[in-house]
Amino acid sequence: MAANFSGVLQITDLNDFITPSQECIKPVKVERRPGKVGKIRVDDDGSYISVSEEGSETKLTKAQITLNDCLACSGCITSAESVLITQQSQDELYRILQQKRDEKDENKKKVIVVSISPQSMASIAVKYKLSTRNTAGKLSTFFKTLGVDYVFDTTFSRNFSLIESGNEFVRRYREAETDKKALPMLASACPGWICYAEKTHGSYILPYISTVKSPQQITGSLVKDWFAQHNNLQPDQLYHVTVMPCFDKKLEASRPDFYNDIYSTRDVDCVITSGEVDLMLEKEAVVLSDLEDRCLDSFLNCEGDHEMRSHSGGGSGGYLEYILKYAVKELCGRELADITYKTLRNQDFKEVIVDIEGRTPLKMALAYGFRNIQNIVQKVKRGKCPYHFVEIMACPAGCNNGGGQIRPDTGETASERLQQVEELYKSLPCKEPLDVCGVEEVYEAWLGGRQSEKVQQLLHTSYHEVEKLTNALAIKW
Amino acid sequence: MVIWTSMIWTNAIMCRLEELCKLEAHQDRAWYVAWSPSGKLLASCGGDKAIRIWGQEGDSWVCKSVLSDGHQRTVRRVAWSPCGNYLASSSFDATTTIWSRKGGEFENIATLEGHENEVKCVAWAPNGSLLATCSRDKSVWIWEVTEDEEFECASVLSAHSQDVKHVCWHPSKEILASCSYDDTIKLFKEEIDDWTCFNTLQSHSSTVWKICFDVSGSRLVSCSDDKTVKIWQEYLPGNQEGVVTTGNDSAWKCVCTLSGYHHRVIYDVDWNHLTGLIVTGDGGDAIHIFEEEEGSDKNQPSFNLKVVVNKAHTQDVNCVTWNPKIPDLLASCSDDGVIKLWKYHT
Repeated sequence: MAANFSGVLQITDLNDFITPSQECIKPVKVERRPGKVGKIRVDDDGSYISVSEEGSETKLTKAQITLNDCLACSGCITSAESVLITQQSQDELYRILQQKRDEKDENKKKVIVVSISPQSMASIAVKYKLSTRNTAGKLSTFFKTLGVDYVFDTTFSRNFSLIESGNEFVRRYREAETDKKALPMLASACPGWICYAEKTHGSYILPYISTVKSPQQITGSLVKDWFAQHNNLQPDQLYHVTVMPCFDKKLEASRPDFYNDIYSTRDVDCVITSGEVDLMLEKEAVVLSDLEDRCLDSFLNCEGDHEMRSHSGGGSGGYLEYILKYAVKELCGRELADITYKTLRNQDFKEVIVDIEGRTPLKMALAYGFRNIQNIVQKVKRGKCPYHFVEIMACPAGCNNGGGQIRPDTGETASERLQQVEELYKSLPCKEPLDVCGVEEVYEAWLGGRQSEKVQQLLHTSYHEVEKLTNALAIKW
Repeated sequence: MVIWTSMIWTNAIMCRLEELCKLEAHQDRAWYVAWSPSGKLLASCGGDKAIRIWGQEGDSWVCKSVLSDGHQRTVRRVAWSPCGNYLASSSFDATTTIWSRKGGEFENIATLEGHENEVKCVAWAPNGSLLATCSRDKSVWIWEVTEDEEFECASVLSAHSQDVKHVCWHPSKEILASCSYDDTIKLFKEEIDDWTCFNTLQSHSSTVWKICFDVSGSRLVSCSDDKTVKIWQEYLPGNQEGVVTTGNDSAWKCVCTLSGYHHRVIYDVDWNHLTGLIVTGDGGDAIHIFEEEEGSDKNQPSFNLKVVVNKAHTQDVNCVTWNPKIPDLLASCSDDGVIKLWKYHT
């Protein structure tokens, strides 16, 4: 399963594909009780029993390692693998669904919410030869038949990611006149990239990363805060599942930053990938195309606007395009109609240069995949990055090519499959985030306006350098 | 002073390796020596974090410069650019440093960062525009040299499942070979948009420490922790021998295994591009030289041992390398910190 993480994580961390049970270096807290320790006996079932001198027996508990421990450690990220299997998988979702069915007390039943990413919808649509719109409707039926209460599209939350990214960029751009370190701004939506930056480049790079939460985590806030309030629920009465094109999103959902201490609940409780949804369809022996087409749920009642929307600018969310257009409008008051990308070293490294009156031209780039990330990171470190903004994504070709997407059929190449997924992804009509029905309303009603403190609290996050461990014993000639 | 070290009789031909000089080179292990393309300078590196440049003055070899401020840990490998104007050094500090030679001075012009931990090897492509590095982090990186002496990452290859020990370029084509603790050798080429592994050579039963192409590039020699040296032959698509190939890629087959000669791990092997002789250095402090039998079948070649120097050094022989211009001149270095130059006599 470790092989499913984005290449960035597989490379960085690097090398030791061990499970916590084998070589984890996390110190485990040992509770010392007064008195002498007698013996430890191993029972036939493999459990460890401590026998005191007086002969009383205590069953010893196993040391538990959570995903958070893994994320906070610079040891091996890939040990997260076995932790993820237990904490974030379709099996966990099935367990929660069963729990709900078994719960007799209606008030204690959890409200289960599933939020599906547009990249996952495209991947599932290709596999089942459906349109994106039909896929969304049929997945809604599928999940609801299993006992899920609401099914959302994370594209709605992406409106906020984009709007906030645009604002942050213009603010940083203005600050850059006095503070050289305000730019470049680096995109923050890709958890593989964030994890790599935190573990490997720390303080050199983190200040440059946009503080805007990813669409997944904004959906998390929307569900556990706004949606919960509107339905008179506490955050922990909701169980929130996202469907993502990417395994690294599981790591993102597990970050302590997205954990609610008061209610002991996560903004996103469980992340399953497109491929894992496909496994669920197989397990249920469901033919997706036979299912009824239902509307997805929406956070707001938008009369007459049930059309699914997307954003222009590519399968990774269109951050560069939105920010560029918004910046040109803010800085020179004009609309930017066309954006011309120039491919540089390879297909995953493209730049856009736009002249703006009276200043140095705006330069932005798309840098996908580890090799291109490397060059950007090194340039930023040396203060030689020529770009104002870089849309960085860990996967070559971006999110539509995420490690959690459904694999191509036999006889089909990965690039053929990717091309189809991209086509379906692009098939939805695009709409400017600020024009989307409900966006203004959510800003006003939920966050108290565009500039409020709540916007900072709920739509932005922060990053943390992971200190490197150097272990002399690990050296090999 | 000339010391006659060792002679052996093989196939009734007497060959010997004459020790020309002994240089107390490094205060720690001497890891690697590399001849400049002109064959006039020798660069060495070691556990003392230093790189030394050696040249001939009269009859003796002397240290011309010491580059000591480039790395924070052991320098594992040095490599000259094909033009001889640049030297690359890779270190356990996870970086690769590029040195530019202007006049007699070496200037640190770039540091390549990105590997997660110890960089084990660095190699320049024959046209000088690409550089490859490999590391304990299991990855092989390809760097492109831009016109303004910048080095940009062109590819990160994660084909190996373990520590990558060595990378080397094909002498004429843009093909990269690597070998690893995962017991395999891998070949890489550039596809439409990225580099990919197109062949994996399996036959060794333990770590492959070093590989080297012959002058034509149609053969490869490898040495291993399994105490054998193997010769690999390239078979082009549509070859007469009927060796199965895939698409436009050649197949590589192990056609000869030299076993029984080495009693310890073999750390280095070098194929002389002028004479065809193969030299090895091993963990038993010995140097061996092999020669292909005249008229041997390329599909089943025979190599004969010509020389063995059992106590070539007092500790592990880490590197053996033929001078690129003087056919019978060999350099070696060892854990004993010493570099030796040898003359091969037939």
